[in-house]
Amino acid sequence: MSEKTIPIGEHAEPRQALWTSLLVMAASLPLMWHLHWQVNAFLVLIFAVRLLAVRWPSAMPGTGVRILLTFAGVANCLHGYHTLAGQDGGAALFATMITLKLLELKSKRDLRLVTILIGFLIVVQFLFDESFSMAAYLGAIALGVVALLAHLNAGFRDASARPALRVALNLSLQALPLTLVLFVLFPRLNAPLWNLGFERDAAMTGMSDTMEPGDISKLVVDGEGAFRIRFDSTPPARDQLYWRGPVLWEMDGRRWTPGTPPRDAAAGLLQAEAPIDYEIVLEPTKQRWLFALDMPVSAPEGAFVTPDLQIISHRPINALKRYRVRSALVYRTTEPSPALREFALRLPDNITPRMRALVADWKTQTDTDWQLVQRGLAFFNREAFHYTLEPPALSRNPADEFLFETRSGFCEHYASAFALLMRIGGIPSRIVLGYLGGEDNDIGGYQIVRQSDAHAWAEVLIAGRGWVRVDPTAAVDPSRIDRSSASRLLGAGASVRFDLDDASGIVRFVRGLRLLADTLDAGWQNWVLDFSSEDQLALLDRMGLGALREYGLAALMLVAISLTLAVVMLGLMRDKPAEDPLDALYARFCRKLARAGIPRLHHEGPRDYGERVASVRPDLRAPVSRFIALYLPARYGTVDAAHSLQPLKAHLQRFVPRRRPER
Amino acid sequence: MSSILATRFRRIRAKPSDTGTSRHPIRALKTRIARHFEGMLRRVPMGPDGVARVGARQIYILPTAAGMTYGAVMLVMLLGSLNYQNNLGLLFTFFLASVGVIAMHHAWLNLLGLAVQARGGPAVFAGETATFEVTLRAEGRRMRHDIHVRKAQDTPPPLFVPANDQGSLGLAVPALRRGLLRLGSITLETRHPMRLFRAWCYVDAAATTLVYPAPAAHAPEPSPDAGDNRRPHKHSGEGAEDYLGSRRYRPGDSPKHIDWKAFARERGLLVKEFGGEQGQEVWIDWSGLRATDTETRLSLMSRQILDASEAGLRFGLRLPDGTEPLAQGAAHAQRCLTRLALFHDV
Repeated sequence: MSEKTIPIGEHAEPRQALWTSLLVMAASLPLMWHLHWQVNAFLVLIFAVRLLAVRWPSAMPGTGVRILLTFAGVANCLHGYHTLAGQDGGAALFATMITLKLLELKSKRDLRLVTILIGFLIVVQFLFDESFSMAAYLGAIALGVVALLAHLNAGFRDASARPALRVALNLSLQALPLTLVLFVLFPRLNAPLWNLGFERDAAMTGMSDTMEPGDISKLVVDGEGAFRIRFDSTPPARDQLYWRGPVLWEMDGRRWTPGTPPRDAAAGLLQAEAPIDYEIVLEPTKQRWLFALDMPVSAPEGAFVTPDLQIISHRPINALKRYRVRSALVYRTTEPSPALREFALRLPDNITPRMRALVADWKTQTDTDWQLVQRGLAFFNREAFHYTLEPPALSRNPADEFLFETRSGFCEHYASAFALLMRIGGIPSRIVLGYLGGEDNDIGGYQIVRQSDAHAWAEVLIAGRGWVRVDPTAAVDPSRIDRSSASRLLGAGASVRFDLDDASGIVRFVRGLRLLADTLDAGWQNWVLDFSSEDQLALLDRMGLGALREYGLAALMLVAISLTLAVVMLGLMRDKPAEDPLDALYARFCRKLARAGIPRLHHEGPRDYGERVASVRPDLRAPVSRFIALYLPARYGTVDAAHSLQPLKAHLQRFVPRRRPER
Repeated sequence: MSSILATRFRRIRAKPSDTGTSRHPIRALKTRIARHFEGMLRRVPMGPDGVARVGARQIYILPTAAGMTYGAVMLVMLLGSLNYQNNLGLLFTFFLASVGVIAMHHAWLNLLGLAVQARGGPAVFAGETATFEVTLRAEGRRMRHDIHVRKAQDTPPPLFVPANDQGSLGLAVPALRRGLLRLGSITLETRHPMRLFRAWCYVDAAATTLVYPAPAAHAPEPSPDAGDNRRPHKHSGEGAEDYLGSRRYRPGDSPKHIDWKAFARERGLLVKEFGGEQGQEVWIDWSGLRATDTETRLSLMSRQILDASEAGLRFGLRLPDGTEPLAQGAAHAQRCLTRLALFHDV
């Protein structure tokens, strides 16, 4: 490698090189949380070498070693991720490269390049973490980038960091209005320009589209928010808040899956009353369904309603999703086709005789389907069924074992067993997964549904009524609920499932804090993270420019940028010389007298003016001559003006000449 | 004796050849085009008070290499954030981009309203380097950072001017020809605050400095008499008068007078000085020299003046457009050299 000649004055100063390195380290620190340990180890090694070289410059590796290290770094990333593209692999490679560049900081040009690239390092991190604290931390780093660039240009009075920091602060403050305008008005994309196909595949907490005993109880200990709801009107009662998710039709003996129910073109709602409108902000799920209250009437844009009344988005929810839905609390579904009815009666082959006997026994006691449903619910209520988050393990035939042996379980056990029993009894049934309830956040004016509110219930087909929701879990006698289990401990606050709310003072305080934090988080999400092209167009609508769509937005942005820049520039160019404080005091003195009807004449000096005032208005003689006596030596004499300022100011404050002499 | 002259004379280096317009047609065309565009450039005019104040419309601004890199990285950040629909990424991209835009305006503001004053330095001989003093004044509350003042190749270190204060620096300009050297247009340049943009302006600095004709290596002795004889006085045993002493070599000294023995003893280059009778009066006469053209003649006369002044003679100057009476001393020598510098052949 040939050494480029570096112009005089462009050699990297050791101090600046150290600052640049520290800034890179600080900027990549949060990223290391998300990177492969191998990549992190390599980064730490390079950082260590870089810091050692500050003390012992001979520790800096030569060109040959640097080339070797570069190959090693790339190989390390490849080994860790098996790819250099995509979000993780790309981030790892970029972090490795910018860190390796720290070993070759020869000229200020190198320093500038690295400093500018820190900007990219910042943006990359937001793909991993979008929290407010992260944004604040990286904001400080961005300020550091500006300050470092300013310091690298120098030209300040002294070489310390302070003037550069001051310049950076000034620049940043002046840049804020423009940043806001750009953020609000810069047209967004509705769909990605390109898709690298290497999306992050991190495990997301949340619902899956199958149900197996144990699935939901894992969720219940998760205090993370699932979505937030803002009702347009009064929210419905909490026991009405069944948030509908995936619908499961098929049971293979252990597991419920959506299956492939036969198409039924006529399926839908026959009757929909008591409509309620609300807005939901859904955390990313990587899945396609959108939750809505039983029963959704219409789908938001970019989604559709399935025949079994799920709302499915066209694209997976990889980012925060905001949508508006209308639901009907009073509804009647259409009668399904015979094929579908048949499908909803299919049984797995591990139905035991005692299960059949149980249902047969019920059938003798009841006349109608609905009575059979009631009999089934009564069974869960009267028999010794227990509700617990830590049910005993079930083996080959979970439904049978649950019904006749363990008799303790969670909502999924109840829903699954109930739906099977109904099918045995000839009533078509299906399972609905979703959430139940919602915690009021009075500070934010919305409700939050947490992962711990995950729930499963059944729907049965009753002739003349369509699909009817039945929640067998709610039938369990509250006295048989295991209060000690994890639901009380791990953030699953006020689950409405059984209204287990015996909030003590501390619990209430902690919950209050949690709600406050959630409000801040919701505001951050609502106003920053989730600001989208729809919000922009809504804003445009409100300004009466909605018809112009994206073009209006672009035009509005240009106008707003120009105006903002003009205002900022006018502020910057206002460059009137600082007035001498003594002159300012004298000007104030003259103004006060002018208001009293004795303006100073242009040819008058302070002494003549004072004498004239004293002769015209003898009542003002004392204060005026006192002022002049203080002012003259400070202005023209040997008295230090700094000493006279305070008494002059005090005197002037008390000096209130009236228009008319006092009698 | 004329120590000012002497020290300045010592600075004469190899004379850079005067590169005039090339005869090459393409290069000549290029020069013409460049001249044409130069005429279109906006310059900061000198005000009636001799101060040039940089106006808003006279400032040029373009991104630097670092600015281009910055812009490219911003673009990548923008595309990435848009593609991943990452609002925080966009926010930070917009922030850094806004900082860049504001920085551009700061670069502009850093020059705006700057008061520039230029003053010629002491006279020099052709072939030497003339100096001009440029003073920048920040008339207002804004301090000025990182102001580079440039003229041709000379790039002195940047100036920092505090608010309501001034700073000055010396500009070195090669003096190629005798006469009045005009400073002409100088460039004020700043990359403040982040070196993303380079703002510059051209200032018409009306400062001049005097350039004496370069003295010839050696010249015939001027005639001692006041007569107007056309023939140069043949002096017996030129330079072979009594040995007066040694002094350090100065460019232009005759190699015949160098003390080579002293040089061999590593005492440096010394020149033996010989002098005739003191108090002699000589006339340095235009017509007393045999030379083909005016400049050679002037350069010979320049040497004669220096020699005469060095030797402490009373001398007068006789030019086609007038005479300088007999006198003595540094001031007189300078007066005579000025006559030579400003001499106009008719």
